[in-house]
Amino acid sequence: MSSKVAVLIVTGFAALCAQETPLENSVKINLSPDSPLTLISANLGESHVSQRGSAVVLDLDMALTLHNASMNRVRGVTLLVAAQEVTPGGRASVAVPSLDVAPNQNFPVRINLRLLRPAQMSGGPLVQVSLDGVLFQDYSFYGPNRLDSRRTMTAWEMEAQRDRKYFKSILAAHGLEGLKHAMLETLSRQAERPRLDVQVSRGSPVSSAALPEHSVRFAFLHFPGAPVEPVEGWAEIAGNEARNPRIDVRNLSPRQVRYVEIGWIVTDRQGNQFMAASVPASGPGFNLKAGSTSRVLQDTALRFSKSGGGAVSIAGMTGFVGQVEFADGKLWIPEREALANAQLLGIVAPSPEEQRLMDLYRKKGPKALADELHKF
Amino acid sequence: MTHPSESILALYAGGDLGWLARRRAERHLARCSECRSQVQAFMSVTDGLIQWNELPAIPWSRVAAEMRANIRLGLAAGECVRSEPLAGPLAWMSNVRTLAACASVIAVVTAGTFLQRPSPPSPPVAARTGAVLRATVDGIELNQGGQTLSLLHARTGEVTYSVGAQGSMRAGYVDSDTGNVTINDVYVQ
Repeated sequence: MSSKVAVLIVTGFAALCAQETPLENSVKINLSPDSPLTLISANLGESHVSQRGSAVVLDLDMALTLHNASMNRVRGVTLLVAAQEVTPGGRASVAVPSLDVAPNQNFPVRINLRLLRPAQMSGGPLVQVSLDGVLFQDYSFYGPNRLDSRRTMTAWEMEAQRDRKYFKSILAAHGLEGLKHAMLETLSRQAERPRLDVQVSRGSPVSSAALPEHSVRFAFLHFPGAPVEPVEGWAEIAGNEARNPRIDVRNLSPRQVRYVEIGWIVTDRQGNQFMAASVPASGPGFNLKAGSTSRVLQDTALRFSKSGGGAVSIAGMTGFVGQVEFADGKLWIPEREALANAQLLGIVAPSPEEQRLMDLYRKKGPKALADELHKF
Repeated sequence: MTHPSESILALYAGGDLGWLARRRAERHLARCSECRSQVQAFMSVTDGLIQWNELPAIPWSRVAAEMRANIRLGLAAGECVRSEPLAGPLAWMSNVRTLAACASVIAVVTAGTFLQRPSPPSPPVAARTGAVLRATVDGIELNQGGQTLSLLHARTGEVTYSVGAQGSMRAGYVDSDTGNVTINDVYVQ
């Protein structure tokens, strides 16, 4: 009898182990020895592996504590998250902009990730986390920059300065009551911002159905002072899918441009406008010397549907220049006034800093927001 | 504080979690009123469905007790019909049966070990099929040949999504625990 009990216990334990397995060996965090950030701790919290039929699900809930070992204040961090074994054609990043971390201070970064893979797969770390870049207060940068995080974080920092300046000017001119009014206006605009569900695929249509295609021409918004202007552009439309946007842009500035990003708005048959995507152009094939014209081109298919379901019938498309990077690394972003004048504030997503300020106002009120704006 | 996902809470409410996961959920629920109320909500929905007769209420413990009783009955019946231990010239047959049983166990263990070995690297299915990015309720999902990578946003209020036509999707949100704005990007190449 005792041997039967022993067999039952062993079998039960084995079944339990098969159901839940610890994840420590599946995650690797790489920070180079000369990195200005050091890893203080990596808490895997309630991360776990579980089996679903013939697949394995890895739920990673990781809280990293990083230390600023540099002599400069950190304004943003981007971590590269790779799971090459599971999705060899994809990668991910987790970025924390709008930071203000003094030297020798610690700060948290959280990564929540889920992987679904077949049960039979070779061992080794499934998820590798590494530093892609750190942006400092003086716009200096450290990191391998594989994801172009230098440009991305610099643009976020410029947007943060722009939006803080706007709210500071309201606070200075109209006090707390004015700030409250402006924040309520911003919150209401974001609540009413029309949203689209978008699926993205590279090089092939998102849906397999062969739908008749036709070219639709872009209309363009022009911002005063923009160094680059869109000239003309098209995309192929098939049902609720848009494919292969191509836009010709002209460099109006005396400096060479190495990156241009075009904002892409779609209009449905009811006249509603939605921010569809940004269309970037960079790399060796993109060369925009002073006064020259070049083409922004992406081999992508986007399928649009409304947030509550239902396809979007695309009636028109509008483009605007959202970001420009010069050959010397300097960036241009649109002024807030230009976005407001073009009625874009209610269409484009708020900057990360504006999102953070809105959250602060919502949770702690106008006084806390004013104190935050006075910090820097 | 890290909260269990909605699916964990729903499974807990339905009593369908494994032992370890249930213990973990209980530990969390003991100190989190928010999740407790969510579990209550799930439980009330299940109760409601049972009341409406949309789902039959299955008395699992009674079913389990019946199954146990049937197994006991089967074992008892087996004991009744079992012949006396063989003696004399036929005793060797009992040893043969034992040997056969041992050989079967060894065969099962060997097959299990063989099947559990890491398989040699084969071209990933993902490489042969298109990759699609989409926003889900709790994050951004990259699906490549049935395998998925999802970056999730922690429990938070407003999440803003944006799309890069070069093949990327972005979710921006304020992390409710750290108060930092966090930007998750997933790229398809």
